[in-house]
Amino acid sequence: MEVTVGASNKKPQFDVLVDAHAGEIYAYLWRMLQNEQDAEDCLQEGFLKAYLAYDRLDGSANYRAWLYRIAGNTARTRLRGRLRTGVLLSEEHSDSSLPIEQQAENTFQLEAVIQAIEGLPYKQRASVILRKYQELSYEEIGMILDTSAESARANVYQALNKLRTQFGNGGALPVPNLAEENSEVA
Amino acid sequence: MDKIEETLDAIYGTPAMGTEVLDRLRHSVRQWQEAIWYDALRDTAVGPLLVAVSDQGVVAIEFGTDEAGFVGELEARHGVTAIRSMERVSETMSQILQYLSGDRRSFEIDIDLRDSTEFQRKVLEAAVAVPPGYVATYGEIATRIGKPQSSRAVGQALARNPIPIIVPCHRVVAADGSLTGYSGAGGIETKAHLLRLEGATIA
Repeated sequence: MEVTVGASNKKPQFDVLVDAHAGEIYAYLWRMLQNEQDAEDCLQEGFLKAYLAYDRLDGSANYRAWLYRIAGNTARTRLRGRLRTGVLLSEEHSDSSLPIEQQAENTFQLEAVIQAIEGLPYKQRASVILRKYQELSYEEIGMILDTSAESARANVYQALNKLRTQFGNGGALPVPNLAEENSEVA
Repeated sequence: MDKIEETLDAIYGTPAMGTEVLDRLRHSVRQWQEAIWYDALRDTAVGPLLVAVSDQGVVAIEFGTDEAGFVGELEARHGVTAIRSMERVSETMSQILQYLSGDRRSFEIDIDLRDSTEFQRKVLEAAVAVPPGYVATYGEIATRIGKPQSSRAVGQALARNPIPIIVPCHRVVAADGSLTGYSGAGGIETKAHLLRLEGATIA
């Protein structure tokens, strides 16, 4: 672990954190919520919560993981409150350069996969997004989702394995004997 | 990369945040940095209690008034956004509640007299210097700030005290010791109540 003497008293200005991390936090929220307006609402709400708590944050904290954690919890609350009306595929998911039949087939496949992902336990889905698309370490994912790094790793593995099993691409990898297949690892 | 990962890439791709989203967030952050935070308690020893703080300290305390009026006046007077936050106000609020229940005698809190004139500020700071259990007269405060002829203006400055209780204008009394004027809710009754709470002997 790297220790920087005197760094604990030098917390960056909150504006600096906003400029450094708002983009990736927004991307995470968009990925979790699949909706631009909800992503922006949670971005604003999450950063307000962070702003209010910033004075009390330890100067040696991992600011990035801390922001993800607050924003992620905001999104989770929103997901819980959202009526399960199904996902609307936005335009950006279809590739108009392909022939129309191919597009339709792809869209069908996409919808099925999206439904499968939505059906995953929250921590499994969040872990996949945080690892594969936000490129965070398992340690950080553990901090964000209140689990150990090992559980974060297992959650990513199980989520991908479940999707592969369901969609039969290249066959399923053996399921590790960590927990029941359908439960997230806390 | 297998087919599932390709499909995931199509779903999660690269959602770019529009510059207008970042601009709106930056705008909010600027508002928060200048904001006044408030909280309201419906039922206290002095009635409904409203407390507002800035990053510098307590800005306003009112009791017996309604929330909408309090917020409207704060925003109009200071030209900033007032945002409700139990978290930001909790330290000040809990010290006031401890004081009202007799568990605290003095406050350990900064005050922010942002909209007061130089004269009002001197008067209010002189009032803060009067310890609990004691009283001072308007004339004594006037003398203390080097303006012995201004006891009437001292009275007016105290009547406009934006932070009653913490700036103890209730400890300032008339030359004969009588309790004249208290602009907070409950008027002179409240003034007497606060002085009794502090153990002052009331003439």
